[in-house]
Amino acid sequence: MAQFDALLKPYSLKHLTLRNRVMSSSHEPSYTQQARLTERYVRYHVEKARGGIGLTMFGGSCCVSPDSPASFGQLACMDDSVIPEFQAFAARVHEHGAALMIQLTHMGRRTRWDVGDWLPPVSSGSRREPAHRSWPKEMEEHDIRRVQRDYAEAVRRCREGGLDGLELSAAHGHLIDQFWSPSANNRRDRYGGSLANRMRFGLEVFEEIRKTVGDDYIVGIRMSGDEMIEEGLTPEDCLAIARAYAASGMVDFINVLGGSAADFRSLANVIPEMWSQVAPYLYLPSAIRNEVGIPVMHAGKIPDVATAARAIEDGHVDLVAMTRAQIADPHLVRKLMEDRVDDIRQCVGAGYCIDRIYIGKDALCIQNGATGREQTMPHEIARARRRRKVVVVGGGPAGLEAARVCAARGHAVVLYEAQAKLGGQIALAARAPWRESLSGIVRWLELQARKLGVDIRLGTSATAAAIAADEPDAVVIACGGQPCFDDWLKGSEHALSVFDILGGRAQPAPTVLMYDDNGQHPGPSCAEFLANAGSAVEFVTPDRLPGEELGGTNIWPHMRNLYEKGVIFSPDLRLTEIYAEGEKKVAVLRNEFTLREEERAVDQVVVEHGTLPVDDLYLALRPDSVNLGETDLAALLDGRPQEVRSNPAGRYQLFRVGDAVASRNIHAAIYDSLRLCKEL
Amino acid sequence: MTTPSNIAWLLIVTAAVAAVGAWRRWRLWRAGQPASVDWIGGLLAMPRRYLVDVHEVVAREPASARMHVHVAGGLAAILALLVLIYLLDLQSWWLRLALLVAVLMMWRGLRMLVERRRAPPAHLSRGGFQRLPDVLRLLAIGLGVLAVFLVLGNREVGGIVGLALFATLALGMAELAVATWGGPLKHAFAGALHLAFHPRPERFSGEKRSTALKPLDLAAARLGAERPIDFKWNQLLGFDACVQCGRCEQMCPAYAAGQPLNPKKLIQDLVLGFSMTGDDRRYTGSPHPGQAPGDRRGAPTAPIVPELVAPETLWACTTCRACVYECPMMIEHVDAILDMRRHLTLAQGATPAKAVNVLEELRQTDNSGGQDPKARIDWAVDQRLRLMRDVRQADVLLWLGDGAFDRRVQRTLRALFKLLRAAGVDFAVLGEEELDCGDLARRLGDEAAFQSLARRNLAILGRYRFNIIVTADPHAYHSLKNEYPALGGHFRVMHHTGYLAGLQRQGRLKIAASTDARPVSYHDPCYLGRYNGEVAAPRALLGALGVPLKEMARSGLRSRCCGGGGGAAITDVPGKLRIPDMRMEDARAAGAEIVAVACPQCTVMLEGVIGPRPEVRDVAELLAEAVVE
Repeated sequence: MAQFDALLKPYSLKHLTLRNRVMSSSHEPSYTQQARLTERYVRYHVEKARGGIGLTMFGGSCCVSPDSPASFGQLACMDDSVIPEFQAFAARVHEHGAALMIQLTHMGRRTRWDVGDWLPPVSSGSRREPAHRSWPKEMEEHDIRRVQRDYAEAVRRCREGGLDGLELSAAHGHLIDQFWSPSANNRRDRYGGSLANRMRFGLEVFEEIRKTVGDDYIVGIRMSGDEMIEEGLTPEDCLAIARAYAASGMVDFINVLGGSAADFRSLANVIPEMWSQVAPYLYLPSAIRNEVGIPVMHAGKIPDVATAARAIEDGHVDLVAMTRAQIADPHLVRKLMEDRVDDIRQCVGAGYCIDRIYIGKDALCIQNGATGREQTMPHEIARARRRRKVVVVGGGPAGLEAARVCAARGHAVVLYEAQAKLGGQIALAARAPWRESLSGIVRWLELQARKLGVDIRLGTSATAAAIAADEPDAVVIACGGQPCFDDWLKGSEHALSVFDILGGRAQPAPTVLMYDDNGQHPGPSCAEFLANAGSAVEFVTPDRLPGEELGGTNIWPHMRNLYEKGVIFSPDLRLTEIYAEGEKKVAVLRNEFTLREEERAVDQVVVEHGTLPVDDLYLALRPDSVNLGETDLAALLDGRPQEVRSNPAGRYQLFRVGDAVASRNIHAAIYDSLRLCKEL
Repeated sequence: MTTPSNIAWLLIVTAAVAAVGAWRRWRLWRAGQPASVDWIGGLLAMPRRYLVDVHEVVAREPASARMHVHVAGGLAAILALLVLIYLLDLQSWWLRLALLVAVLMMWRGLRMLVERRRAPPAHLSRGGFQRLPDVLRLLAIGLGVLAVFLVLGNREVGGIVGLALFATLALGMAELAVATWGGPLKHAFAGALHLAFHPRPERFSGEKRSTALKPLDLAAARLGAERPIDFKWNQLLGFDACVQCGRCEQMCPAYAAGQPLNPKKLIQDLVLGFSMTGDDRRYTGSPHPGQAPGDRRGAPTAPIVPELVAPETLWACTTCRACVYECPMMIEHVDAILDMRRHLTLAQGATPAKAVNVLEELRQTDNSGGQDPKARIDWAVDQRLRLMRDVRQADVLLWLGDGAFDRRVQRTLRALFKLLRAAGVDFAVLGEEELDCGDLARRLGDEAAFQSLARRNLAILGRYRFNIIVTADPHAYHSLKNEYPALGGHFRVMHHTGYLAGLQRQGRLKIAASTDARPVSYHDPCYLGRYNGEVAAPRALLGALGVPLKEMARSGLRSRCCGGGGGAAITDVPGKLRIPDMRMEDARAAGAEIVAVACPQCTVMLEGVIGPRPEVRDVAELLAEAVVE
């Protein structure tokens, strides 16, 4: 067999033949409006279908009952009006040869009472759910019957909606596994106590479903192979449950994950990111597959096709979910089929997609500006009609993406990078402990740029004269920003930046005050870097918590590591001044609530406050540019070419992208460039 | 003393010496195997074959053609006139004037010959050929003086002048006499007979193309050509017609890549083998790359391999037929190579190691990659192809070929499905019932495997009703169209480019202008172009796309092979360069940023070129991007 052939082998799931073994597991990108499908949502999945996926599952936590409201932008399947929408969706996915399934669930107590119809949450017992602080009502018999009916009706709608099948979620602490798990189920009737009793509710749900839609519709279940929490289901429990459900003959497949989602720790563990090894829970579906005679699927940090192929070849799973992998690159399978494995933009496990959901935003990929924006952003760059010469200044994410996109449009591209290697701020960020995988973003962009023939000039600072000699039609300034505290911090000359520490310009001293008013990754990353170097670190922030802008899956590894390494946290304090006192630096900190000042005498004060644009080259080039540096925002947003000609005597167009405009993040830098350059 | 009777005797003696030589030569050829030959028809057809078919080939090099027309035409006219004047004793002044004109014509050609031979390029053999300008000029001077005397009315020239004149004429005529003894003018004599008794007389009529291998009788006592005399006698005659002009050498991709094959040398090796016993020291052309002259020795009844011809010489051939297409003497190099390969594979089991594996895979799985035969259309689940087994009949039977197992080729096939659907074509596939067409096995000399595959494919095809077979694989196209008929399979077969071009002409397939302005070079697959003459349809399709087409220096019927034909990609004989690299260089030189191809083998070979290079796209893939659905 050729390499990765195992992944491309068709698979028969009941009556359905899937074209290959690669799937995307159900997840909710929060692209809904009023719990309904949107064009954006559909296009997001159609792109995966175009990209060759075998099975794409949508509707993470699509809810079946009104007392399971959409608390984080998920879908609802509570009335027949969804049927035509599902039909249209299925037709568009089928057109590209993929199968489409959904996940249905009742969230039970894992929801909020103050959203939707303000109905009190229900559950298998009365214990409070830790992540949402919901006190559920212990379900009575009539609740149980009602909800089981709701499940069956929802399944009927999916079937009539032309979906190829679905799974019920019994993972992440949803209602069915709230019945299973002793951590939630403290009832004493025939639905509580013994494992057989605890399994009863879910089995009855399946009975109700089969009564309603018959046996020939594909209905599976998603469950954990090990809850990994106190009082949770053990691997043995999960195996017993899987065996019993498979033996019932009502369940067509089991989709196994590892962990649960009860708190920060378990949430971070159920969606393992760059701190984790690859495929950490593959042993769980493998064990279940050995015991049940039905197809087994699995998702859990399988970012690369080699790992995925191994999971299939070695018989651990039947279908492998590469969910985040295809958020990063929805054309993963197509590239595999075209023997272009090194063109796959591999997920780096930054958790940007999932963490945006946990802070109430839509899912976006840290490195792919087109994912979730298929209506406006291309995953494949169209060639321009006219070949132009483009000079890009700066080899960070913004500059590399600009170079990649321009080169893919067929332009002749020169990229200047002052440093000896590419990456910009990513090269710094990747030096922090457990953040190395970020460099994968740069690796892919660099490989693409080189393949597309970009003239990369490393160790070369661009000058106005050099650029003029290149005779460009357009210049994209992507030289990023530098930390600068002069205008707000008295005694800023005594401050070091994260750049100084991670970049190796300053050696960590015995006592360090790490001040972070940015709330992103650099502060905690730098603090951990310092602690690893042996510094005693106090982490000071004016926010109420460190890492306030970080989502649920990233805050855990940061905080776990910082606590373990003895970092002291001091929230609610703003740095106002630093002065020298002998060998020491004294940091003046003002309490955000009382305004009372306190001082720390330390060896180093490291400040994380974002960056200011490096704009000298931009200002030097501006007078000779045809657009005087202006970006036509209306054209940018409408996807039209930039045509500002405020200076007809100008010789080139001039644009700025990324932190060279304003301090933001990797995704913003890449999106800036993609959006601008796809029309250049 | 130059007298009419002396000259008449000179002519008679020349003819007699030549006749003895011819008889000896004839005996050597006839030691070969019998062949069914149309003796009278062939002889009658010979002049036309010479004047039309040979001239068409020679005229591809206009300077050579001018030279040859003048020298050969002049000499033929001179000989005829000498017979009339001296043997038939016709006294017309006009004949004498004609003789002078013929001599002047020959002289004009000889000036070109002198140029050609002054510092002969590497592809021209030297040796006896180098003396021709001098000997023939001497003859021409003598004849010229003779003709002047004749025109002035002097039939006799006496004294020292007459003696010198006669000596000159005698020396010149001696060159003609030794033509049949192996002199440099042998080609004129053997070539004429070769044209008359050519092993592929179809080459001179109808479509003027005969490229299908002839089936081998597997029950024969001796399989293929082990010894020189195992070739058919008229094949030996064909080898003897070689004029060592080296046009084959100039065009051979294996030679250019430094692989140990020079088609001219191979033919000369075989001439050596059937006509004398000894080594190749007297050969004066370019050797097989990497081999020194003097290494090769043979005899009519001695095994050819490895003494006379090294096995790697035979396995380096891509069967591209460039040598055959260029040969002005109409020699069939590829048939000869295949005859020897057949012997090596069928009788000796001496196929190169990697090819042995492939043949074994073919035996086990009926596909060359040894893939699970049931997985032939696994990759096309999402295409929802209609299977012949289910539908029983369709307008088009789409032959997928073994490329169906290759991910790269699957892309081409997907594009083809899209185009056929856009044009509303009723098509179906055989799916897992399809077997390898047998081309590869046949070119590796395994005629038994070919015939087995072909017969079983024919049995499967016989179950279904369809109007036409369409395939994207020129090798399958050639086999099904040209080689299956000999086994009883007569189908209408089209290559996808020809079929799509037809759809486009009829307006069923609508192609929008491409937005991609990158220049495209089209690479003609040997088995589509030279083997089947189809060079127009792919270009018509690219024309419909409106892409800027840049022809490579060698294209169309003279296209250079990708290196993948005839099992050469598997036997993989080492050379100095790789053939696909050279071909890609041709594309670069033409300024192409995209190389359009129409053959899975070419696609794979050209995509195997490492480093920055033009993109390789099948014509179907380029069309699929612009098709109006």
